[in-house]
Amino acid sequence: MKGSYSKADESELIQASINGDRLAFGEIVNRYRKMVARTVKGMLGDTVFAEDIGQEVFVKLYHSLSEFRGDAKLATYIQKIAVNLTLNEIKRRKRFSSLFIQKENDDIYEFDVADEGHEEKRDAKEIVNKALMSLDPKFRIIVTMRMLQGYSTKETAEILDLPLGTVLSRLSRAQEQIREIIVKL
Amino acid sequence: MKRPEIKLLIISSLDPGTDAGTLARQIEDSGVSYDFNGKFTDRVLDKIFGAELAFNREIEFVRKLNSAFYRVALTGVAAILLLLISIFLMEGSLSINSFLGIGDTYDESIVCLFTDN
Repeated sequence: MKGSYSKADESELIQASINGDRLAFGEIVNRYRKMVARTVKGMLGDTVFAEDIGQEVFVKLYHSLSEFRGDAKLATYIQKIAVNLTLNEIKRRKRFSSLFIQKENDDIYEFDVADEGHEEKRDAKEIVNKALMSLDPKFRIIVTMRMLQGYSTKETAEILDLPLGTVLSRLSRAQEQIREIIVKL
Repeated sequence: MKRPEIKLLIISSLDPGTDAGTLARQIEDSGVSYDFNGKFTDRVLDKIFGAELAFNREIEFVRKLNSAFYRVALTGVAAILLLLISIFLMEGSLSINSFLGIGDTYDESIVCLFTDN
């Protein structure tokens, strides 16, 4: 099927994308780009570098679509790719400098055009970004999944391949840390 | 949403007992929304299909080169066969002398040829 895919279901989009249909894969990107942006930008900060990782997520998805068996939702599959690539990027940066990420995010904040003139909205985003960036990545990923993506602890455990108990304990520690950080903001 | 309200929302969203989905939507409505650049989708597609196009062009070039090689090779083999047949018909054998065109030439006639006598 060529043409508009706006009403197509997931399996149809996946099959068409496997067959090399640009429009079909474009529809997948459009449907999930915000979800990927929340994970990648929540973890790396709202920076230009996050764009590259976002692109990489979809490139990797395209090349692994034929391996997608459909056992899990496509969203979960994409989310796992996004988490893995983001955590790899954090590890890669840590090798260069342990201070790099914090400094970078203090320096380069990007706000959507729609946020201009909306002080309160900008405030909210700044608080969330600063709180997230103050956390250790292993807590940050849990908070991102919960606070920005709205996943339950069970879903978070499934995406991160962690035991539910680990997610709960990390969530509890993250909450304590965020409480301390947020008071200072 | 005021600062204290958003702070409270952030903390309560991490409470395992709360509905994370609803609170995440509230946080998003308060202005904490994330998206990529407007041209993000086009860039992703160009990255994937642009690379694929270049790869396909490369394959097409190699395929055409192979086909050209076969044609040249077949023409060459046909030319060699024709040459062998014509040599055989003209000289009556396929010896080295026949190939060199001196199959029916005597040594004396070669000397005469070189000395111009």
